[in-house]
Amino acid sequence: MQEVVVLGVGMHRFGKTGDAIVGGKSVTELCRHAVDMAMKDAGVSWRQVQAVSAASSRFSGGKGWGLNGNDVVEDLGCTGIPVYNLSAGCAAGGNAFNVGYSLVAGGIHDLVLVVGGEVMPKGMIQTSGVEDINDPEYLRQRCVGMPGPAFWATLARRRMFDHGTTEEQMAQVTVKARKCSESNPFARFQKAVSLDEVLASPYVSNPLRLFEICPVSNGAAASVICSKDMARRFTSKPITVATSTVATIGFDDALPRSLAGPVPNGPSFHTEAKAAVMKAFERSGIGPRDIGFTELQDNTCYYELAFPEEWGLCEPGEAERLLEAGETTPTGRMPINPSGGFVSFGEATTAMGVFQIAELTWQLRGQAGGRQVPGAKVGLAQTNGLGGNATAAILKR
Amino acid sequence: MTERNAMTDLSTNTALREPCVPGLFSEDEGPLLHGARCITCSTPYFPRVAHCRNPACAASHIVSCTFGGEGRLWSYSVADFAPPPPHRYDKPFVPYAIGVVDLDSGLRVVGQMVDPVESMRVGARVSLVIEPIHHDEGKAFTSWKFKLLDR
Ligand SMILES: [Zn+2]
Repeated sequence: MQEVVVLGVGMHRFGKTGDAIVGGKSVTELCRHAVDMAMKDAGVSWRQVQAVSAASSRFSGGKGWGLNGNDVVEDLGCTGIPVYNLSAGCAAGGNAFNVGYSLVAGGIHDLVLVVGGEVMPKGMIQTSGVEDINDPEYLRQRCVGMPGPAFWATLARRRMFDHGTTEEQMAQVTVKARKCSESNPFARFQKAVSLDEVLASPYVSNPLRLFEICPVSNGAAASVICSKDMARRFTSKPITVATSTVATIGFDDALPRSLAGPVPNGPSFHTEAKAAVMKAFERSGIGPRDIGFTELQDNTCYYELAFPEEWGLCEPGEAERLLEAGETTPTGRMPINPSGGFVSFGEATTAMGVFQIAELTWQLRGQAGGRQVPGAKVGLAQTNGLGGNATAAILKR
Repeated sequence: MTERNAMTDLSTNTALREPCVPGLFSEDEGPLLHGARCITCSTPYFPRVAHCRNPACAASHIVSCTFGGEGRLWSYSVADFAPPPPHRYDKPFVPYAIGVVDLDSGLRVVGQMVDPVESMRVGARVSLVIEPIHHDEGKAFTSWKFKLLDR
């Protein structure tokens, strides 16, 4: 195995169709901006890129939206290099990074571009619209009517029952996240919000409120990765990829993927995310207590409370106390989402796994400005995606 | 007669009740979900599957069975806004709770709750029922739901 490093990263600020940030830009334009920035940051030219690993949301029968890596390559100039389009729902960016990492680690290519970007359809993410009674997603919508955020709300409600978590504590996560976003020039929202403002926002799926759930956004992120040997030509201080992992949901997961499943024997929450992160600890030899900061997939604030406990970053039932003591802020003992997280960016689905790599890189280089984790040495990233997908990555300097 | 009463009449007239999706559930012999169970590892399935999906199962042996009766509310969420199609609902939209219920027979199943959101509590005893989810073309389209037992 070759050691893999991050050479350069780039991002297009996140926004909403028609606003002053992204306007009417296509996903290819957003990606081009992020890719140009990443290549400049890396000091490499397009002709040096040997392969592209792109996060694609064109899955489930072709929804007519989403990134196609071939369009990005055409825009940059067709050099004939291989393009891998990876689909894994919202975990696609993490999957694309993993495939790029694996290609370099395995010695297939020395320098790979990883890119993810999205121009999201308006409103709630809808199903394919195909009325097929063999499609569990169709049955769930037709027979039950379970909007996307209901999954998160079900888990959050259960946590309230198990740990006594309050709605105020969940709102406090958003307050912390939005405070971080003030010093992130790439975040869609860059304004702090008060606890009262969060609690005054309407329920989207009780107990979760509008300000506690990430909206959909347009945005793009890119990273240039290469072998450590090759990196010497470009920089003396590359960021090392300690590991990158992918996992899928376990049979005994607490939440049925479709309509039903067996009652699990004991707690079995978020089995895909936990498996990806545990595998990352195992492969890298870096344990949960060695992690200096974490970028995790906060589609909803609930995850910031549940995940750190499940991965051993803190003790079970301790997350609320750490939050209230300010320990999850960039200067605390267990910094979570110093970038401001999905709650501040909104979700441009396939960009997210790559967005996290960019934030980890900036943090580890000490370039994160007002949201800098002091002395950041090791960072953990994690994504989750529809269909039972998850990824993790650990970066270090 | 008000519109609401007309709907109630439709809902109770069995000739005018129709499952929103055929073959998944029935109510002739009481409310029942039509599923399956692997008799090797006793894993329950709903809807039916062709093969056992338990990776620890030595040999798949699927037989059809039904699930009904009572269970416990493991957790719940709320549809505070109307879900997008293909969901269908009676207008005006009234928010409803969505339960994740552990049936005593070992099946964890998702379903709409009949009772109002404010009456929900995790751990409550519930029973399976078949109830209308929307009305259209003079018919009441039904689905499985759960009803609180102690209310
Ligand atoms: Zn079996």
